[in-house]
Amino acid sequence: MKRVNIEPIARVEGHGGIRVEVEKNKIKKITVDIYEGPRLIEQMVVGKTPEEDVSITSRICAICYASHRLAAITGLEKALGIKVSKKTELLRELAHFGEMIESHSLHYYLLALPDLVGYPDAISMVNKYPDDVVGGLELKKFGNRVMEIVAGRRIHGENMRIGGFGKIPSDEELNWIKRRASELIPVIESGLELWGRLEIPDYMEEETNFVCMEPGNNQFGFSGTEIMVSDGTKVDVEEYKKITNERVVEHSFAKRCRYKGKPYTVGAIARIINLGDRIKTPIARDYLDRYYDEKKWKRNPIYNNVAQAIELLWCLEKIPGLVDEIKKAEYKPVKAKKEDGTGTGGVEAPRGTLFHSYKIKNGLVAEANFIAPTTQNLDEMERYMMNAAKNLLDQGKEDIELPLEIIVRAFDPCISCSAHLVRVVKKG
Amino acid sequence: MGKKPKVGFYGLTGCAGDLLNIINCEDELVELFDIFEIKSFVMASSAKDESVHLDIAFVEGSVSTEKDLEDLKEIRKKSNMLVAIGHCAAFGGVQAMHLGDGKWKDRYKKVYGGEKAVTLTKPIEPKPLSAYVKVDYVIPGCPISKEQFLHAAGRLLLGTVPNLYTFAVCAECKWKENECLLLKGLPCLGPLTRGGCGAICPSFGVPCIGCWGPVDEENISSEFKLLLEKGYNREEIIRRFRIFGGSERAEKLKKLLGVKK
Repeated sequence: MKRVNIEPIARVEGHGGIRVEVEKNKIKKITVDIYEGPRLIEQMVVGKTPEEDVSITSRICAICYASHRLAAITGLEKALGIKVSKKTELLRELAHFGEMIESHSLHYYLLALPDLVGYPDAISMVNKYPDDVVGGLELKKFGNRVMEIVAGRRIHGENMRIGGFGKIPSDEELNWIKRRASELIPVIESGLELWGRLEIPDYMEEETNFVCMEPGNNQFGFSGTEIMVSDGTKVDVEEYKKITNERVVEHSFAKRCRYKGKPYTVGAIARIINLGDRIKTPIARDYLDRYYDEKKWKRNPIYNNVAQAIELLWCLEKIPGLVDEIKKAEYKPVKAKKEDGTGTGGVEAPRGTLFHSYKIKNGLVAEANFIAPTTQNLDEMERYMMNAAKNLLDQGKEDIELPLEIIVRAFDPCISCSAHLVRVVKKG
Repeated sequence: MGKKPKVGFYGLTGCAGDLLNIINCEDELVELFDIFEIKSFVMASSAKDESVHLDIAFVEGSVSTEKDLEDLKEIRKKSNMLVAIGHCAAFGGVQAMHLGDGKWKDRYKKVYGGEKAVTLTKPIEPKPLSAYVKVDYVIPGCPISKEQFLHAAGRLLLGTVPNLYTFAVCAECKWKENECLLLKGLPCLGPLTRGGCGAICPSFGVPCIGCWGPVDEENISSEFKLLLEKGYNREEIIRRFRIFGGSERAEKLKKLLGVKK
């Protein structure tokens, strides 16, 4: 038996490996092994105050800490009977945009593109693609700056609080964000042009379901109170378990997620497939019309990369209007109305739907459950890799490592946050 | 240290925020890859060579599995210098807040539902790097700051030692002329916490949660008394002290509370 081990998976946040077992040129098994150790965060927050919970749970992941923080805050505020002021809501949206821009530019330019243009990393691309590497870094820096200003730090900022903010950004800072967002639009346009010149691999294609939060009011966006599936199903966020169906697999500690018994995809591609017709900003609309091909996108996770770039562009186009609204809105911090309750927060992290669900008793966390995007995508990664490996081996290809890594990276997996998915593989 | 120091960037169990903050050096990243001969930086590049001896290894994350431990020992063996980056590597991270309470296995069972299956690697109670190997330097923070990383990397490049802040967050708060949050009655851990973050949270009006870990000469008895006077109860104070306090503060607390009884 030939075994292919790709470990660790490069340019992926956290530690994972792909284990492929091939026998007589037939694929036997593919698993994504997660080496990231357990941190037991769901247990760490039991007995903590909601404020302490927010500081701890945002540390689950560095890249999408703001999403973790927002999911936690949303769930906890619901449990505590808090309805925040308009300004708080809008500022949170701006911080969320900052994270999307930072995370998507990191993934699109630094992690995914090197594969598609044939380099080991973005820095090696700098001579041939100077504008795109430098541009990608500029976009990333801007996303980070937005988070510094609004959320308090590039990583693990503490400014977003339960009920409001520590400090409201000044008009000067907000105006800078507005101006800089518009200046950067040509950068991502150029990055999107590059996509048009790439050859997109299709060795794994197969249909699937796509899940994301429903922002409501026929809007595109990154949060909501309902979950939306591409088959038309909608459920209240409190019933998230109906979608995720977390289960323990016999041969694994891993809690895996399946909807109606099948793997499903979350992330930018799911949001664009489910909500893309609601994208109205002119430039993002234009690129979407140019690149979106439903038949292709619904079968091929590689399009998640360009879906991210289009979302990034949409954020940049939305920021000026959002900043104007923020400046007009009234701010009021809000305190907890009760000490007992339950609540689930669902938000779209850059790499997909994220849930933080709580039970609060006497003002302290009694129970907590978190489901991160990569948790939901792991079964998909394995399924698409299985397809790819079968097809490639049938075509007589031997070198299947990079093609499989490209699939895993397309999901932009964040293994820190799916760490309680230690996969057990029986040998033989 | 020769022409181009050979360095490796590694991550054990954590949120990867310290390595990410190195990638967040957007203006310096291209130069960083040029000044150092980067032999391993899995998060940023698929080009790597684990066979060479390293001048410097930067390691983030806590040791939380047997594989983490094997990797760490391997890295230590092949590196002249090992630098722990971030709170997890330096103090164990939030996952080590209950370190040594004897209940880790129970918590583990609650999350995973059992420990009978054969696993890819055996999980162990999260600990900082220094619990297992010699650590030459520590760059603290949750996450580390880009400024302190660049400073420390620059000093090491020149063959000298990093000169990081050894005083508390309060000093930086005073430099910024922030209003003292403790005086306002907020449970700020600035006096106990190592500076270097730029007093970032207090500058946002948010009390310090201690994410850079304990400052060497922390006076926990005085802060404890102060918070009691401000109306916080013992349990609240202990809880807050322990979130980022690591095992040393846990020991100090044990002594302090033992005396108080």
